Amino acid sequence: MKRELNINHLTRVEGHGAVNIVIENDKLREIKLRFTEGPRFFEYITRERLYNEIPKIVSRICGICYVSHRLSSIAAIEDAFDVKVTEEIDLLRKLLIVGEYLESHALHLYFLALPDYMGYPSALAMAKDYPNVVKRGFHIKEVGNRIMKLIGGKTVHGENILAGGFKSVPTKEQLQKIQDELYKVIPEIKATVSLFDSFHYPQYNEKPPFSLCINSEKFSILGNELILSDGTLFTKKEYEIFIEEKTSSYSTAKYSTIKGKPFLIGPLARVNHYVDTLRSETKEVLRNLKTKFPSENILHSNLARAVEMLELALEGVEICQKLIEAYPFEGEVEVKPKAGTGYGIKEAPRGLLFHKYTFDENGRCTSANIITPTAQLQAIIEENLGTLVERSKDAENEDLKKKAEMLIRAYDP
Amino acid sequence: MVKIGIMGLTGCSGCQCEILNCEDAIYKLLGRVEFSYFPLAQDNNSFEEFDVLFVEGSVTTDLDEEKVKKGREISKILVAVGSCACYGGVQSQRNDEVSLEEMIKGVYGTTELPVKISKPRAVSEVVKVDYELPGCPLDKRQFVYAVAFLLNGVKPFFPKIPVCHECKLSETECLTLKGIPCQGPISFSGCGAPCTSQGVGCQGCRGDCDFPNYNEMVSILERNGLKREDAFKFIKVFRGKQAQDRISKLFRGDLDEKGA
Repeated sequence: MKRELNINHLTRVEGHGAVNIVIENDKLREIKLRFTEGPRFFEYITRERLYNEIPKIVSRICGICYVSHRLSSIAAIEDAFDVKVTEEIDLLRKLLIVGEYLESHALHLYFLALPDYMGYPSALAMAKDYPNVVKRGFHIKEVGNRIMKLIGGKTVHGENILAGGFKSVPTKEQLQKIQDELYKVIPEIKATVSLFDSFHYPQYNEKPPFSLCINSEKFSILGNELILSDGTLFTKKEYEIFIEEKTSSYSTAKYSTIKGKPFLIGPLARVNHYVDTLRSETKEVLRNLKTKFPSENILHSNLARAVEMLELALEGVEICQKLIEAYPFEGEVEVKPKAGTGYGIKEAPRGLLFHKYTFDENGRCTSANIITPTAQLQAIIEENLGTLVERSKDAENEDLKKKAEMLIRAYDP
Repeated sequence: MVKIGIMGLTGCSGCQCEILNCEDAIYKLLGRVEFSYFPLAQDNNSFEEFDVLFVEGSVTTDLDEEKVKKGREISKILVAVGSCACYGGVQSQRNDEVSLEEMIKGVYGTTELPVKISKPRAVSEVVKVDYELPGCPLDKRQFVYAVAFLLNGVKPFFPKIPVCHECKLSETECLTLKGIPCQGPISFSGCGAPCTSQGVGCQGCRGDCDFPNYNEMVSILERNGLKREDAFKFIKVFRGKQAQDRISKLFRGDLDEKGA
């Protein structure tokens, strides 16, 4: 008996995706996760452009995680030209990341994922019965947006985030106000953690996921070194050696593996790796949860997102304090182009992001390579879908579809 | 209830995010409009008929083309939002420089792709567009105004005056005079000039204002330190065909010299 399951347009995900599953005589025959998003040729449209055009162009890869693309490309440019920024510029970038994560994670948790767990087709539909829950989501998102607007200039695609730093920096009063807002949003984030801990998460993946994240002494979104869950360490320059990318015959996202295996990146990989080094206030919240980290269950990615929001909001309060104490400070250092290649990595909200550029002596880009989280996640999502189908062969088509969508959404592809 | 659709073609979803960022306005709108199609935000989507359909992204794949043509057929009003939908966006900036095959091969190493691809085009190159709300991303206030206008039977109208006008209104010091490359003099205002007020030159993400003087713009950019070819590239980032046509017409001699 042959059974086919097709989801032609995945909803509540950022890209354009579709899934085809074929089951024959109770055996899984085929799983295809297809991203049908049109290609946008970023590795090609950056060519021959001056280095200072690059962050602007590549930030358009993603409207939700534009800060990640900007900062990874900036890290690569500064790497290529040997630019060292000041501690304050570094702090401002980290504060920007706090804003990005609050915005992106709140959007994902409240607007894309939550409707699944509360049994609604959308957050807007949920708003009628649970106005306060939806408003909380809007509020956390708004705090993130305000930080990005203040430092970057706009909520989406702010142009003030540049190689060498920032053309202008926030005033002391503005920093105080942001610190205040972050401080006030912390209880709402804690409530989010507890809300997402309260749901039941069935496990659809078989073994502990093979995972990859940035390696550092404590929870870190930026860095130069990576670690696999089997303990293997490598540097950002070696990224392309470890990651094998294949062009897929049915998806416009490339198919990536490490050591021949699909791998996990993103919030769950990070929280699992850093759970012992989180701030004590975060750890205290974690102690009271029914879910324990490290966790092997992919669906706990949602809870991991909430945990990351808490850790980063706490960090944001500290960053504001340091910047207020350092006031006044310069926002920019000089950037002198020279020929060479630079590498930049960053943990984007949905997982690791890699940028590499080569420049000529005038700072014109001659080649680029960008590896996005979605491309790296395609393989592991397909693997999980296989396990899901194996485990729920008796499920009705509608039910199976729903589960598959929930699983894919947990990756926020 | 007025039926609204929000559709994404090839783009970054940034405009749809900005629409979701119109938090209070969306709450208020919910009493009068129904989002009958908004796949980024909801499951229950119907693609049957719309009073207003907002389209984000450029037309790059055969799927995009099919979707937007169908969307046009079933919509009373079609609004292109963001610079990808209005002009082709960043992905179209080298349409005049390299062939499609070269771009596909350069990125994928092969031309065998699962979808049929064309050079990125603006929505208006494929179907009739009633209104355009450009910007990268679109300006969310303009989105709310446009919806409010349309709900009340008024044609949305935003004058195509240059960004310089907004710098004057916000008393922002002129960056062109300070020697910073800025596209304000040839760019369509309406954004409130957030970039220039932070000391970053206008990047022209909203496209051309009425009667843009490219000749003068290019010579100012040259005076402010850009080589002529880099000035062209700087202007071309967001404007798609609009800028490519003007540049090829006005500067044909320069382009021939370079063999471009």
